[in-house]
Amino acid sequence: MPTQTAAEHELATLIVEALNLEGIDPAQIDPQAALFGGELGLDSIDALEIALAVSKRYGMQLRSDHPDNQRIFSSLHALSAHIEQERTA
Amino acid sequence: MSAHWQQQREGGSRASINFMVNTALRCGRAFMLCCMYPIALYYFLRRAAERRASRDYLTRLFGRPASAWQVLRHIHCFSVTMLDRIYLLAHGEQGFEIEVSGLEQLQQCIAQGRGVLLVGSHQGSFEVLRALSARCPEVPLRVLLDKQKTPAITELLEALAPEVGEAVIDVSQGGTAVTLAVAETCKAGGMVALLADRGRAHESLRRVPFLGEAAPFPIGPWLLASTLQVPVVLCFGMYRGGRRYALSFELFAERVEIARDSRHEMLDQVLHRYAQRLEHYARLEPYNWFNFYDFWQQDEAATMAPPHPRTVPEA
Repeated sequence: MPTQTAAEHELATLIVEALNLEGIDPAQIDPQAALFGGELGLDSIDALEIALAVSKRYGMQLRSDHPDNQRIFSSLHALSAHIEQERTA
Repeated sequence: MSAHWQQQREGGSRASINFMVNTALRCGRAFMLCCMYPIALYYFLRRAAERRASRDYLTRLFGRPASAWQVLRHIHCFSVTMLDRIYLLAHGEQGFEIEVSGLEQLQQCIAQGRGVLLVGSHQGSFEVLRALSARCPEVPLRVLLDKQKTPAITELLEALAPEVGEAVIDVSQGGTAVTLAVAETCKAGGMVALLADRGRAHESLRRVPFLGEAAPFPIGPWLLASTLQVPVVLCFGMYRGGRRYALSFELFAERVEIARDSRHEMLDQVLHRYAQRLEHYARLEPYNWFNFYDFWQQDEAATMAPPHPRTVPEA
């Protein structure tokens, strides 16, 4: 079982709820695995849903013009780290 | 005959397009319109695939075999709208008569402040919309385009109107940045325009009837609309001959709802309605259909089904 931090687990739960990913246990999402195109098979419209859910829950915007977008959306770990960083900034 | 439109080459080299743009601006539209007859004839003779696609479309539309003359007229109509893009970008609507209908519906949607998704097709000229949007700079308009599809044309046309180039959301970059940019524009109360009739390779498509036979349409635009929950307005800029264009707006939906549990049915309903509107405009202006490839993709009909990742549509 992959080890998630508390923040990663909360985000994984949010993603599973927002995208209505049936049959997927948030705790089973590997923080280092690719979010898009990988096992979860998420796409750019899912990314938008995630961004909207994140903005609602955490009150922060994931911006289209962020130079590190590719890295930020690469994995649960990267996305969670970015959100934590932005929230405390 | 199954060549995908994305594999089709751009009609002209960078040098020849550059020459065309310069000549068009120097010699004026009246002179260039005369040149469009030999140019259309040249493409008619040289481009067998486009010729075949045109004949196929016109035959379905008219319900009887299309003549070579009709095909030539079709290619000529396309050539003129391509030429007019140069003038529309360089001088805006000046020199054209643009008849606008349905503007109140669009304005009502804009007034809600949620943003608007403008959905068009490869019929007529979308450039008319861009030219007209210069009238109200307070409402930003961004257009989803694949800059990689026609790099030479894109580059040269953007040189004519740099601000138009900046307003493009380049779909070829792909991924998250594209959908987020669409959402940001809507959130700012702006308009995002895209064309929803061509499916890109590896895009998720569904077949609905169009001119009597099922044709594949991309589902991406409608999933995007459903996620954004913004009003969707259809937009068509049809060329009417001479200096005339008719720009029509019609409210398609206050919001598109695509529930997860009945996704396919709801998508098919939406696509069906969209295809019917395309058919309506095709019958109104038969020679404004600018999908010069095998739109129905008959040979692939049998093999379609495995779900491709959804990608974002382009204009």
